Amino acid sequence: MEMEFEENIMEADGLDVWYGKKQALFGVDIPIKKNRITALIGPSGCGKSTLIRTFNRMNDLVDGCRTEGTVMFNGKDVFAKGADVLELRKKVGMVFQRPNPFPMTIRHNIEYGPKVHGVTDKAKLGEIVEESLRKAALWDEVKDRLDTSALGLSGGQQQRLCIARALSVDPEVILMDEPTASLDPLATAKIEELATELKKSYTVVAVTHNMQQAARISDYTGFMYLGRLEEFGKTEDVFKSPKSELTERYVSGRFG
Amino acid sequence: MAGDDAAGEASVSRYLPFFGREREEGFDERRERPGAALLAAAAATAAILFFIIIFVALNGWRAVSEIGAVEFLTGFDWIPSEGAYGALSLITGTALVTGGAILFALPAGLGVAIYMNDVASPRVRNILKPACELLAGIPSVVFGFIGMMFLIPLMLDLFPDQLSYGSSWLAGSVVLGIMTLPTIISVSQDSLAAVPRSYREASMALGATKWHTTRNVLLKSAVSGIAAAAMLGVGRALGETMAVMMVTGNTALVPEPLWNVFSTVRTLTSNIALEMSEVSFGSLHFSALFFTALILMAMVVAVNIASKKIVKRTKAKMTGDLRSGRLSAMAAAAARPVAPYFGIVSEAAMALAAFGFAYMMLSLVAGAGASAAAAGALAALFLLRKRLSRMIGAGMTQKAVYASLWATVALVVAVLAAIVGIIVFKGLPALSPEFLFDAPLSSGRAGGIGPAIVGTLELMAGTAAIGVPLGVLCGIYLAKYAGDGRFAGTLRQAIDILNGTPAIIFGLFGMSVMVIWLGMGYTLIGGCVTLALMIMPTIVKTTEEAVRAVPADLTEASMALGASKKQTIDKVVVPAAMGGIITGMILGIGRSMGEAAPIMFTAAVAFKAVAGVSVMEPVMALPYHLYYLATEVPGSATMQYGTALVLLIIAGTLFAAASYARHRYGRFASG
Ligand SMILES: Nc1ncnc2c1ncn2[C@@H]1O[C@H](COP(=O)(O)OP(=O)(O)OP(=O)(O)O)[C@@H](O)[C@H]1O
Ligand SMILES: [Mg+2]
Repeated sequence: MEMEFEENIMEADGLDVWYGKKQALFGVDIPIKKNRITALIGPSGCGKSTLIRTFNRMNDLVDGCRTEGTVMFNGKDVFAKGADVLELRKKVGMVFQRPNPFPMTIRHNIEYGPKVHGVTDKAKLGEIVEESLRKAALWDEVKDRLDTSALGLSGGQQQRLCIARALSVDPEVILMDEPTASLDPLATAKIEELATELKKSYTVVAVTHNMQQAARISDYTGFMYLGRLEEFGKTEDVFKSPKSELTERYVSGRFG
Repeated sequence: MAGDDAAGEASVSRYLPFFGREREEGFDERRERPGAALLAAAAATAAILFFIIIFVALNGWRAVSEIGAVEFLTGFDWIPSEGAYGALSLITGTALVTGGAILFALPAGLGVAIYMNDVASPRVRNILKPACELLAGIPSVVFGFIGMMFLIPLMLDLFPDQLSYGSSWLAGSVVLGIMTLPTIISVSQDSLAAVPRSYREASMALGATKWHTTRNVLLKSAVSGIAAAAMLGVGRALGETMAVMMVTGNTALVPEPLWNVFSTVRTLTSNIALEMSEVSFGSLHFSALFFTALILMAMVVAVNIASKKIVKRTKAKMTGDLRSGRLSAMAAAAARPVAPYFGIVSEAAMALAAFGFAYMMLSLVAGAGASAAAAGALAALFLLRKRLSRMIGAGMTQKAVYASLWATVALVVAVLAAIVGIIVFKGLPALSPEFLFDAPLSSGRAGGIGPAIVGTLELMAGTAAIGVPLGVLCGIYLAKYAGDGRFAGTLRQAIDILNGTPAIIFGLFGMSVMVIWLGMGYTLIGGCVTLALMIMPTIVKTTEEAVRAVPADLTEASMALGASKKQTIDKVVVPAAMGGIITGMILGIGRSMGEAAPIMFTAAVAFKAVAGVSVMEPVMALPYHLYYLATEVPGSATMQYGTALVLLIIAGTLFAAASYARHRYGRFASG
């Protein structure tokens, strides 16, 4: 099994998550390989979002959400006592289903994160803006309108702006929760291309409902079902020769 | 919300194929004409504002023509006995007391709103929200009364060298500030809660703390709502009469120096309330008082318009729709060379302002040297705030900020508890059957307040009987028939202005129409009409909201069964909106019940042996009785507390009824 030779940047181990009394994840173990794209698929409500939101502890914001088990990031448990959640979120960025730029100018959207982490130098901020927008393949489209409102951009542009915003604080991992769900096919293709480009320097975890998308862009795929990780492996294996019958039925579209 | 609408449309579209195109057009509700009653109510509302302005202006005309508008507006001396009518000291008084109130009510109210939004658990929020509403329901005379009894003695203890009587601009601003808090808290909390959750998530996913997110994203997104909250507070404070009159000392002079918060002042409203009962109808003095009312009205309308402009502008800016006009383009061009220094310049300006303000205030109580040192330290602290926060770290900064917000909340709750506690504690001994049912004896020092209780109940009933039908009909018209045409726009504008119109102006209007023009004198009916006009905007607004909140699929399901629009509204929409309508009605009546200003020239008398049996007789009323006892009858403290307690009990009962109605009718209720 060659997959064990690739380095794990993150790893969940025996992860249980509850929302109040309701358990949403049951003993999930999943490795996230460095500089690879991991896709998470599964029917609605199976816990994909819940899982990736434990990776950057965004679930802390949900009242009544409780987590057991460990999530290791670069060898440290992110839930350990005294772990710095702000530093974690800097290193593990997130892009959401609906583009959610701040109601500010494009420039201020990108500068926001670095400023949070103490960058005040104007020149440095300018560099970060250009670099992040270039990495998100948005620079050429917006370089002349950096000081206009980000809400004036198209949906696809807004989503790339959100990716640029996530890149602005120099993360190692980028979590994407159905990043193309609200976009048209052209904008979707751009984001997919971008994700493939990004894995050279970042690790990407993407939730998607689009089977072809998972097959096209990811290196690893996890199939979740009813709060459990039903199957995990190289994308080819999961799609071509799944071990579980459930997975087979789901990826072939004969589900339900 | 969008999800709800979509679901509504989906369920309706199931019926559509059966009716074809024409039927679908029939669904356009705006084609059916409203009934005569609805139209009449709407027209009456628009007419009322028109008549209020006309009557006030007509009565004020003599003063303008004889004194001259310029002299009137620029003269400092208001000495009617010598024929000196300079309203500037009154205008200054109003502006200073209002400004002082907002200066601390805005930060405090915003602090409480942020605490409720960021920190409070749902349980705590469910306590704080009703507490705020309760604070809003306390009648203004009660605030004035507590101010006289507790705040003023407290201030005399704190500043014995600066104050000779205790009554002062500062006392007025403190009382007014507390009174405007509920408005500021609830409006700014609503606008914070309306900021999409996704903004908060995006910011926190970047590693920002909750406080940093609030400070840099939420407050910026909610700025138009917060500005509206401040403006509403200003509007409310500008028009307040009774509470201010009871604690500011009422001398018509400009403070010396201008920032001397210990000086006594007289506001436009107090001036009207104090002098109107002493002038003869039609005299120059009489006319001059009406002219000051017109000035007050102009100030309120200006605030109203300004707040709408601000809200519109900030919204446009946020969504990127702001098309800069030539002026702002020129300003931007002029600012470009200094743009890189804008941060430094504005920091310096703010620090300087902080220094100046702190110095002015401190120099009133301390020597120049000490004041300058303390103000300098404050300004330095301001300039170093970012560095300080970086030094202690984002987490600690958040802790420190939230701790101070908690302290603010605790203070507000303590003030509310103290007001209620003191009145209950000191008022309970007064309560007895004689107190509740007998007429007052020896100017109110003994006996009871029976006629005042009955009078207030009569006023409430009459106000409801006149104001509720008019307001509800007008609200239904606005929600279901008015559309967006010219008339609807004018009507909405009129209602907004009426909503912000000071209570005392309704009093003047009622007096000039009923007491003088119709020659009725002081009557119960006069008071009811005046109060009904005053509460109508509240009822219109809550009705409109409640009717709008009725889901479209409910209406359309009824119309799909072949019911006409009118039937649908009567049988489906209004019943569904009932909770909201009743809530608004109770809140409106609660508000009118505690007002003394509108009835003091139309209905209320200080003494009456038996409660009135005719609507053409004057009445005693609780708020006016409390004002009368507190200001004119020394040695009646127990009776005062007893009266205040009865007022609080009525206000509390109405508040509980409103909560019950809202709770009972669940999700369609609003307001
Ligand atoms: N804030 C919450 N409070 C309570 N329950 C929640 C909350 N968020 C999610 N859940 C529940 O947890 C389970 C997993 O939800 P989750 O959002 O992780 O699913 P998902 O796989 O992302 O679904 P989808 O594909 O629809 O986005 C669901 O049953 C959901 O109802
Ligand atoms: Mg999800």
